[in-house]
Amino acid sequence: MSDTHGSAAGALARSAVEPRVAVTRSGWVVDARRSVADLVLSDESPLAKMLVKGPVTGSLGSALATSFGRATRTEIGGETALVVGSGPGEWFVVGPPGSAAATVAEIEQSVSGRPEFVSVIDLTHGRVLLRLTGQRAAAVLGKVCAVDLEDAVVPDGAALRSSVATVVTDVVRDDRDGTPSFLLHCERSTGQFLAEALLDAGVEYGIETTTLVGLTCTG
Amino acid sequence: MSLTTPNPTSTRVRPGRLAPQPGEVIDRRRPVTFTWNGSTHRGFQGDTIASALAASGVRVFSRSYKYHRPRGLLTADFLDPGCSVQVGDEPNVRGGHRLVENGMVVSSQNTWPSLRFDVKAVNGLAGRFLAPGFYYKTFIKPQLLWPLYEKVLRRFVHAGEVPEAGTGGVSGETFDKRYAHPDVVVAGGGPAGMAAAAAAARTGSRVMLVEEEHELGGHLRWGDADDLATLRDLRAQVAAEPGIEVLTNAVVSGRFDDNWLSIVERGLPQVFERLVKARAKTLIVAPGLIERPYVFEGNDLPGVMLSTAVRRLVNLYAVRPGSRAVVLTANPEGDAAVEDLRRAGVEVAAVVDARAGDTVVRATGRSGVSQVELSTGARIACDLLVTAVGWTAPTSLLNMSGDRPVYRPSAARFLPDPQRMPDDVLATGGIVGDGTVTELVAHATAIAGAAARRAAARARAIGEAVPTRGDDAPALPDPDPTPVDVPVLAPADHPELFRSSTHGFVDFCEDVSSKDLVIAIKEGYDSIELVKRYTTVTMGPAQGKLETVNTVAIVAEATGRTMAETGTTTWRPMYAPVTLGALAGRIHEPVRYSPMQRWHEQHGATPLVAGQWIRPEHYGDPAAEVRAVRTGVGIIDVTPIGKLDLRGPDVAELLNLLYVNKWSKLGVGKVRYGVMCAEDGVVMDDGVTGRLGEDRYLMSTTSSGAATVWEWVEDWLQTSHPDWRVHVTPVTTAYASINVAGPRSRELMARLVSGVDLAPDAFGYMQVRTGSVAGVDDCVLWRIGFTGELSYEVHVPASYGLQVWEALMAAGEDLGVVPFGVEAQRILRLEKGHFIVGQDTDGLTKAYSSAVDWAIKLDKDDFAGKPELVWQREQGPTTQLVALQPVDRATVPEEAAQILGEDGRIAGRITSSRMSPTLGRAICLGQLEPSLATPGTLVTVRLVDGRDIRAEVIEGLAHVDPEGTRQRV
Repeated sequence: MSDTHGSAAGALARSAVEPRVAVTRSGWVVDARRSVADLVLSDESPLAKMLVKGPVTGSLGSALATSFGRATRTEIGGETALVVGSGPGEWFVVGPPGSAAATVAEIEQSVSGRPEFVSVIDLTHGRVLLRLTGQRAAAVLGKVCAVDLEDAVVPDGAALRSSVATVVTDVVRDDRDGTPSFLLHCERSTGQFLAEALLDAGVEYGIETTTLVGLTCTG
Repeated sequence: MSLTTPNPTSTRVRPGRLAPQPGEVIDRRRPVTFTWNGSTHRGFQGDTIASALAASGVRVFSRSYKYHRPRGLLTADFLDPGCSVQVGDEPNVRGGHRLVENGMVVSSQNTWPSLRFDVKAVNGLAGRFLAPGFYYKTFIKPQLLWPLYEKVLRRFVHAGEVPEAGTGGVSGETFDKRYAHPDVVVAGGGPAGMAAAAAAARTGSRVMLVEEEHELGGHLRWGDADDLATLRDLRAQVAAEPGIEVLTNAVVSGRFDDNWLSIVERGLPQVFERLVKARAKTLIVAPGLIERPYVFEGNDLPGVMLSTAVRRLVNLYAVRPGSRAVVLTANPEGDAAVEDLRRAGVEVAAVVDARAGDTVVRATGRSGVSQVELSTGARIACDLLVTAVGWTAPTSLLNMSGDRPVYRPSAARFLPDPQRMPDDVLATGGIVGDGTVTELVAHATAIAGAAARRAAARARAIGEAVPTRGDDAPALPDPDPTPVDVPVLAPADHPELFRSSTHGFVDFCEDVSSKDLVIAIKEGYDSIELVKRYTTVTMGPAQGKLETVNTVAIVAEATGRTMAETGTTTWRPMYAPVTLGALAGRIHEPVRYSPMQRWHEQHGATPLVAGQWIRPEHYGDPAAEVRAVRTGVGIIDVTPIGKLDLRGPDVAELLNLLYVNKWSKLGVGKVRYGVMCAEDGVVMDDGVTGRLGEDRYLMSTTSSGAATVWEWVEDWLQTSHPDWRVHVTPVTTAYASINVAGPRSRELMARLVSGVDLAPDAFGYMQVRTGSVAGVDDCVLWRIGFTGELSYEVHVPASYGLQVWEALMAAGEDLGVVPFGVEAQRILRLEKGHFIVGQDTDGLTKAYSSAVDWAIKLDKDDFAGKPELVWQREQGPTTQLVALQPVDRATVPEEAAQILGEDGRIAGRITSSRMSPTLGRAICLGQLEPSLATPGTLVTVRLVDGRDIRAEVIEGLAHVDPEGTRQRV
């Protein structure tokens, strides 16, 4: 599977999270609304999402330049990608919409010829990716996630897998222009539920939804 | 000479509101109006319900639990046992704590016909018959009358009412939950708690300061000018520290292992109550002291108050609590209450100094105290009796931490045993000892230093252990390992005053008197724990905070033991009563949706809750859906089918291990059905697995078994064969799965599929291809058929699921394509005789009982469940899966109906049954004894209504197309 499907005219990809106001961008139906609220939730599911597995110790970790529990930005196939050490011997890679096929190919190329057993799967359509941004983002997560999200434990660039509103979720601290921001990556069918749970938890702080943000900061 | 002092009614002032007081918390610029039992009353913002009513001259707030005696204010705070009221739909509101609001509707609880004339007060006359254990002894036999007893007793229960349609809270508000990980939690916001919080925060600790009252300050709030100055200073210190989170109107309700603290916050904006689950690195217990009531005859009469209640009323709420008072004092707080009363214009008729050996013998009056008899023999007319006889250290949180407080006679209270406290729990303030405010602050500051150091050490250990910190993470704390020098805070001497020469109430919540305790002991319940359970003393809403020490003292007196020997009851969570809503908090029950869910909703699907999944059960007529599939074409959303991506050169080895059949020769492009057993040979799952490439497979599982099978696969790989090069990834919802079924399904597919030759000889039964469907690439197509018809299972990259679904519906319009739901699929598969794991099998059904003998390959070297299956084959199965058809074609036996042998014994059960639209008759699958499983055998099926019907065992499992020609075309 790759996220280059739907080349036929009119093929539309839809996230599991229902947009409030729909608009089409890069072949995806996304939320058109751009919020200026201090606390926002965006559906980043159109971003390419790849799962890479290999030995816990070995050259793959070095090639991806990311250790378990951490997330780093890097260039893959000429595009900015976020590589997340999501588990021992497991990484997930997030790239711009439409970049999955090239990213998979480049990672496979980088490990070809090595004795290590490595697999790369495009899970763009199998996962939901949300982004929660704002000074109160950790407070919102603190209502649905039991992990200590303070800077000392989960600083920018931290990655962990935990229960968020009882949904198994990869949580990545990926601040935006100095504002706390968390990427939340879960299995697709529970994405709508997770989004609604976060919006419910954030009502107290005036949370709003906003359009696809992407990986790069606006500066 | 008369010993009775006359009551000079002509000159006394009336209870009511005083002129402004220096420490008052009411806002006189903001009056509020509310009703009490239908009458309108006025108060000010900042008033509690109790203070506002007291200012209006109300003395009786409730009727007691058992005897329905009139009760007034005792403590004038959260613990007040005489002041539980109903506010709107909310029962059991602490009137001494809840702030009064404009429009509030307040009423007394469980009084009939009124608070003033409560018929149930007749219980008081029968008091001698309501001895301890009365309910246990009286309402136990006959059991037949329990429902009647329940109805009667419920009428007498001392509690408010939750209307059936009520929320128990306030409309628009909710119950909430959050997690927290503070370095230091300080339980108690009095002077010691505030000082501790500020000191800990100054070291860099993240502090959570929890105070049960609506504001910080503790006893300083009702103190003198010096106290108020200290209060301002400490509050300023707390406010200056951004690292302190202050939770007022909140309580640390429990301490569990590893300093897991439950904290309940009340009355937040939009949130009725919030449970904070805090993992505190250290806990400082600083709850102060609770004033203890005195036991004597008439001690529950309205107008008998504790000295702290009087001081609260006068100083915080500017309420004059009475007109003429007698004060029994054994400590400075009682002395200060005398001064407060005089300043408030209350005539202090007598000050009885317990330190000099004087005491109160009894109080008398009808609806309130009107006379007090002293140990001197004097009788004094009054409407207020104030007692100040000692303190209880609320050690609950320390007990929950493993501590066993020790009784010290010289101080007349229990004190913590520092040797038994864990490192992450410390105590300060009045619970430890007595002193000036300066001494309390010094002790708290030192304790906070120790707590902060221990918290820092814990934070450092955590920081060094977690993998989430990068190179640029904030520096970890570097705590000073030197022990902190903590000054001694010794408890002051205090006379032991628990009970006078008369008997009175010990537990005001439960209406348990000291006489009840003595009787219980005479009946043999002579341990403190048994006394508690037998009499219910300390089991009311105050949870022993007012009653425990008096109970211990009276039990000790009656048994001849010392208080230390008697010990205390066990203090368990919750420290304070909490609502069930607070414990529930936000309820998260994930639901899962397919990409086509919205379409199903828009097209009238009846939802079916299948585990976490919401699936379409049918679209109005499942029988019509069945007929459409048998005669034309239908499509069903089967996204929940479990799917695992398997990659690596050793996948075939894995499949050979997990399935009962063989996989080594499965070629690329082929699909094979497999049955999976646990080690005990019991069928745990089934499904098909297709080989998509040389080292790439897609395994399907049952919908309900997806997670279990994934764990099963990982378990074998990680524990038994870590040497195998296999990666397994769940991809259940990476694909939207659609089954296109029916004789015209190939025709429909041909209109949308590209890159795959659909001709029967090119893409045959039990084969797999990848191609494009409706313009969507990389779809996986399986030619398999759960329905028994020609069918294609299409796995579409999930984001395009809706597009492909809509394209199939549009392209098949002229073919009469219909969507069909789970119910039609169940009928179709039953007609075909396909079993469902968990429905036609159970937790004991081994593979040879599941009609899959053909698949079991015992000649394989090994596979999960093989030894058990070898044994089962040798022994023969105890039951067999068979297909049955009732002789009466129109009667469908219920699933789980029993199948009886000729001698009437249970010989099996119906596992699946439906009316077949295709055959026009009832059809079944069942588990049956092998002796009755021969085709043509007639068996008896007992229906739920008791009728017996006959059913015939047929050949094979398929009711429709047993040769399988329809699915192989």
